[in-house]
Amino acid sequence: MKKYIFKRILLGLLVLAGVVTITFFLTRVLPSNPAAQWVGPRATPEQIAAAIKTLGLDKPLIVQYKTYVLNLLKGDLGVSLRSKQPVLTELKTYVPPTLELVLISTVFAVIIGIPLGLYSAKKKDKLLDHFCRFFSVGAVSLPTFWVALFLQLIFYRWLQLLPLGGQLDAKLKLMYEVPKITGMLTFDTLITGNMTLFVDALKHIILPGITISLYPIGLVARMTRSALLEILGEDYIKAAKSYGLKDNLILWKYALKNSLGTTATVLALSVGYTLVDTFLVEAIFNWPGVGNYISTAVMSMDYPAIIGVTLLSASSYVILNLIADIIIAVDPRVRT
Amino acid sequence: MKKKVALILVLLMILAAVTACGSKDTPAQQPDASGQMDVLYYAYNSIPVLNWDPSIEFSNGIIVMNNIYEQLLRFNAATKEYEKVLATDYSKSEDGLVWTFKLREGVKFHDGTPFNAEAVKYSIERTREIGQGAAFIWDAVEEIKILDDYTVEFVLSYPAPLDIIASCPYAAFMMSPSLEDQPDDWFEQGNANGTGPYKLQQTTMGDEVILTRNEDYWGGWGDKYFEKVIIKKVTETSSRRQMIETGEADITTELPAEDIEALKSSGNVVVEVVPSFTNLMAFFNTQKAPLNDVRVRKALSYAMPYDDVVEHAMGGYAKQSIGAIPEGMWGHSKDLYQYKHDLDKAKELLNEAGIKEGELKLLLTYMSGDEAEKKMAELYKAELSKIGVELEIRAMPWESQWDMAMGTDPSSQQDIFVMYWWNDLATPYSYLYSLFHTEDSTLFNLSYYKNPEYDALIDGAHENSAVDIEEAERGFIAAQEILLEDAPAIFIYDKNTVWIKSPSLKGHVDNPSYPYVVFFNKLYRE
Repeated sequence: MKKYIFKRILLGLLVLAGVVTITFFLTRVLPSNPAAQWVGPRATPEQIAAAIKTLGLDKPLIVQYKTYVLNLLKGDLGVSLRSKQPVLTELKTYVPPTLELVLISTVFAVIIGIPLGLYSAKKKDKLLDHFCRFFSVGAVSLPTFWVALFLQLIFYRWLQLLPLGGQLDAKLKLMYEVPKITGMLTFDTLITGNMTLFVDALKHIILPGITISLYPIGLVARMTRSALLEILGEDYIKAAKSYGLKDNLILWKYALKNSLGTTATVLALSVGYTLVDTFLVEAIFNWPGVGNYISTAVMSMDYPAIIGVTLLSASSYVILNLIADIIIAVDPRVRT
Repeated sequence: MKKKVALILVLLMILAAVTACGSKDTPAQQPDASGQMDVLYYAYNSIPVLNWDPSIEFSNGIIVMNNIYEQLLRFNAATKEYEKVLATDYSKSEDGLVWTFKLREGVKFHDGTPFNAEAVKYSIERTREIGQGAAFIWDAVEEIKILDDYTVEFVLSYPAPLDIIASCPYAAFMMSPSLEDQPDDWFEQGNANGTGPYKLQQTTMGDEVILTRNEDYWGGWGDKYFEKVIIKKVTETSSRRQMIETGEADITTELPAEDIEALKSSGNVVVEVVPSFTNLMAFFNTQKAPLNDVRVRKALSYAMPYDDVVEHAMGGYAKQSIGAIPEGMWGHSKDLYQYKHDLDKAKELLNEAGIKEGELKLLLTYMSGDEAEKKMAELYKAELSKIGVELEIRAMPWESQWDMAMGTDPSSQQDIFVMYWWNDLATPYSYLYSLFHTEDSTLFNLSYYKNPEYDALIDGAHENSAVDIEEAERGFIAAQEILLEDAPAIFIYDKNTVWIKSPSLKGHVDNPSYPYVVFFNKLYRE
């Protein structure tokens, strides 16, 4: 077991090293002018020359790569060309709101996706099953940007129930001190007990939260259903039935437990997918997260920021994969 | 089974309750829900501030900084006069080399430091020392002398219009000498300390800026003005449109023409169309054959479908340019030659230059993401194909487009470079110098245009603008005649600024010298 995990971690590190190398060279061979970006619009030639020196762009690319990797090992992701702030500091500000969305979507995926799959399997080929299957296929295949705009139209423009975007109402920010503990506002406002802010933060997260969780809900529901259907055909279920155990007990206790391995794997991977999916949703809902950050970075060819975010996404993928692998390995049937 | 259905129902009810209990107090839709505090909301299409250092910021930041900081003078583009801001009076010597400014007394910075001659000297010297952004505007200044607490004398090394310079929307802000006591990253942390009507209350990574009234403002306040101002980045045009429709935002701009039309007919908002000092140009690579032949450049200028571009690319919110200077800026002349869409003439000129149909292939670059530039390029391509010229259109990120243009080998460069330009200093020199003056290494002269006669003319006119504005204007107009004769670029259109405002918002007057700036202290609700 230990050896297995060790091997997995090693493999993950290898993947990350590859990602760093490829992104570094990719962002640098694209035609761009980091020095001009650093100095800002309408720069003079002297300013650009000075910037080339400051940024070390006069050195060969391979030397720049070496410097970058050495700094990276010290935990230094470099300085953003656009804002001149350390990328790590910026990520610390932009990651929590994204994490908040991802967490919400994961919670939704569990509390809605699993029961949905369960009932679907139980009522196989009945009306409820058809409905669940229709819903989960729809949830997976509807384009997120469309759902986002549609929800905005209904809940903001027509019903005027929920806000259009952002994390908190700007006017409320003027009246209350906004707590900054984790950076996840719904959580922070709740534990500091400011109910006005909490309700407002909750209202702001509903629409992006729903949009982003549709995919994981659909995926989890589908996977739970198919895993359960397979398990329900197993001999031990028949045995349990012949003992006269109640259907619900069999389903919830004996069948579901065994299907959770599959569900957990899918869930872990879908979190990684969601992390990337938030980028689009954040843009539409003006959510101050990593997605907003990377889109600005890409538009302005801010390569330290681009590598920073790519590295972040890659690491979370690797870690989530690792978690999924470990979950499976814990299952005695897999462990050999 | 029943239990589970009940469970789902309960969950749904909780969800509904959360939504419903929230809807009782929706301050987002009711600005007055929070007592008397009335907030002004400016939904802006990009990051409001890129660099909080007023010496450096040479971008969007002026929309915020012109409310926090002040210049000595402010140029009123409508009356072409200077409003006295931190200076109460100024005079210049006959030769335009010595300028004396009388300063406003009793003005304090937001931290209480008094504004005086020392602050003026400090601010300008600091900006020059840092040497970034628009610091070049102070180039002519040789020495700043403090005559007394409220009198400053500028000694210049060559005649320059210091009134125009001192009113520049960039790099002309007055800063407090107390800045010296602040840590190096004070600006990066999002701080500000000016003399302006609003103070910076808070900012979130430049995405959102909240300003609060400076109660001690020297200009005073009436009751009706806003206590707080929010400037927020809302990049999605559909979001900005919805926010202005529901009344959440009070003022916004840069919406697509279709949205503007729809908003106009809805009647819920006020749409104000004003001329801007921004114009779109297409620069020919004059170093590359056959574009080094003026006949070819003229032919290509005649092939541009100007009216269609204004109509379809800009939805009518623009006007075909006359010369290189936008309408409303001094130095613009209606009597200059204006190229019209004329394919026969274009064909004739190409024949004269010995270019056969299907022989000429050109590469046009524009900034990716700009819809108007894209539509313009497509319309132009269609017209060119009618006279046997093939146009390749390439969208590139600004940095890449510019990098390609700065290369040294003309054959690897673009043939036509499309770009907007807008003023920094309120003078035609800002356009004519940056875009067409001979350059040793390419910066913004993207036509690679070299003409000593033209250079001498605009340099002379610039020096004249320090002493005799009318003479200067004649020089700038004569220089544009040379440009139109040489056709190093197509002057496509002068853009309009379209403001979309809430009907209750009063007091807003656009000043094109300060693009997209809203002077919040003049605004009130009625």
